[in-house]
Amino acid sequence: MFSRSTACRGAQRAARHAAVRPSQRRGLAAPASGSFQYQSGDANGVKFASRDYAGATTTLALVAKAGTRYQPLPGLTEALQHFAFRSTDRRSTLRIVRESELLGAQLSSYHTREALVLEAKFLRDDLPYYVELFGEVAASTKYLPHVYLEEVLPMLHFSHKQFLANPLDMAINSAHGLAFHRGLGNPTASSSSHPYTKYLEADTAEWFSKIAYAKPNFALVANGAEHSELSKWTSEFFDGVPASPIEQLTTGTEQTKYHGGQERIAHDRANAFVIAFPGSSSPSGKFYKPEIAVLGSLLGGQSSIKWSSGFSLLGNAKASPGTSVKTTSAIYSDAGLLYTAITGNAEYVAQTAKTTVELIQKIAAGDIPQELFQKAKAAAKFKELEYGQDTTAGLVYTGSGLISNNQPYQIDEVAKAIDGVTEEAVKSAAKSLLEQKASVSAVGDLHVLPFAEDLGLKV
Amino acid sequence: MSAPSLAPFILKRPWLQRWVAPLAKWYGNAAGYRQLGLRADDILPEENDVVQLALKRLPPKEAYDRVFRIRRAFQCSVSHQLLPKSEWTKQEDDTPYLSNIIKEIEVEMAEREDLEAMVVQKRAANASSGH
Repeated sequence: MFSRSTACRGAQRAARHAAVRPSQRRGLAAPASGSFQYQSGDANGVKFASRDYAGATTTLALVAKAGTRYQPLPGLTEALQHFAFRSTDRRSTLRIVRESELLGAQLSSYHTREALVLEAKFLRDDLPYYVELFGEVAASTKYLPHVYLEEVLPMLHFSHKQFLANPLDMAINSAHGLAFHRGLGNPTASSSSHPYTKYLEADTAEWFSKIAYAKPNFALVANGAEHSELSKWTSEFFDGVPASPIEQLTTGTEQTKYHGGQERIAHDRANAFVIAFPGSSSPSGKFYKPEIAVLGSLLGGQSSIKWSSGFSLLGNAKASPGTSVKTTSAIYSDAGLLYTAITGNAEYVAQTAKTTVELIQKIAAGDIPQELFQKAKAAAKFKELEYGQDTTAGLVYTGSGLISNNQPYQIDEVAKAIDGVTEEAVKSAAKSLLEQKASVSAVGDLHVLPFAEDLGLKV
Repeated sequence: MSAPSLAPFILKRPWLQRWVAPLAKWYGNAAGYRQLGLRADDILPEENDVVQLALKRLPPKEAYDRVFRIRRAFQCSVSHQLLPKSEWTKQEDDTPYLSNIIKEIEVEMAEREDLEAMVVQKRAANASSGH
């Protein structure tokens, strides 16, 4: 039932055994290769990267430059996400599912603001099968009207409902919308602010797929696969994808501008409050500011250590233990957003929002003990490195890096940049936050939740 | 829904097709549905899951036209009349718009049956290595 003969694969594996076995057999004390770095390459115009670490499984991802930022019409990214692994010219949906079950693999697809990711996790031996499957999904998925109506549309409705039931999600998306308007500001989920099915049809999805899955617009990234193997199979199975997009889209490609503003949305289920400031772009972008990451972890809000409220300023200052606060430095290719998201009881959320602004003012004034800066720096560095080591984030970062500037994400350099952040830099970053316009989004009980002006923020 | 048919056998042999085609044409006109403005696919028995699903998958325009043809034919039948000759279904219009969808669905279902009945064997190459 498999299109590739297993006999030839067996031979390849036998040849590989010598290379793989010693590392798999190493004792606990022996150091692993420790390499974060991806090796990258180009096979017939398809960019790919891999890092080979000892282990029996592989994670393979196809990262396409087709996140919500780049979608020309609302909902297209999500439609492609749900059309992934459906019937292709050669295999039906059911067959893809059953074959993957037999191989013990996991298939998933998801999207971020900038990337659309198809992911498969499987046993090391099955690499050729999955490279072939990805080639098929990218080149010859059948975008049939009835598949759209029967299988894709219900998923869109579900994610719409999920979005509406989650005030935090709504607030974060609304803050992005305020900050960046279009492009990065597009909501990631089917939000009610867009008529999310009005522009969707199977044909439109097919048209967008010819752009998203064109050779310059996607990259293949593997964790735990041998570079030469991946190179070989990639050059073999990606003949069917278009060499260039059928239409050059400019949506989302222009330099992102920060706008700022305030939005208030009534919600009867829970309260969420997001205070956002212009942040740092990714290291490859023009606006990379490592001090934003340190400032983010200094404000913090969530403890990384059990039975403690943590060192972070917000973790200690939040109005009640039931209030959840988290400061995130969201990094995109050419812009970023530093935001503090607060959820919980409306009164406490309001109090904590006030505290947040006071704390930023305090940091700007330099009223923070030096010890805390050290802790924040260490935490930021750890978070960054840990994030890069994590396969999922690493895959998306590496893929996006490959598509945008032909370079995988170099995590070691980021860690070095954070090491070089001075206390002074963090102070001036905090000062500049308060001088710029903030993006403030309140979702929930609007009677209690404060306006940005009440907090002393410019909008 | 698919009854045994000689059609594929005949279509494969051009000489036989040349003999049978006029006969088939005569039969198509003599069956009487064209005089009521129907197409052959309009009178397929639809009381089963496969055809119901196929009807759901019809493009909106075709579904509308189908309902129109059936209602018109029903009116004709009730009033014991035929349509004026200009409105009879022409042979070239009598195309299978539904049976191709039905065939697709049957293939899908057959594939599911086959996969359900599959006997899984361990890959010979993996039998010794444990996974």
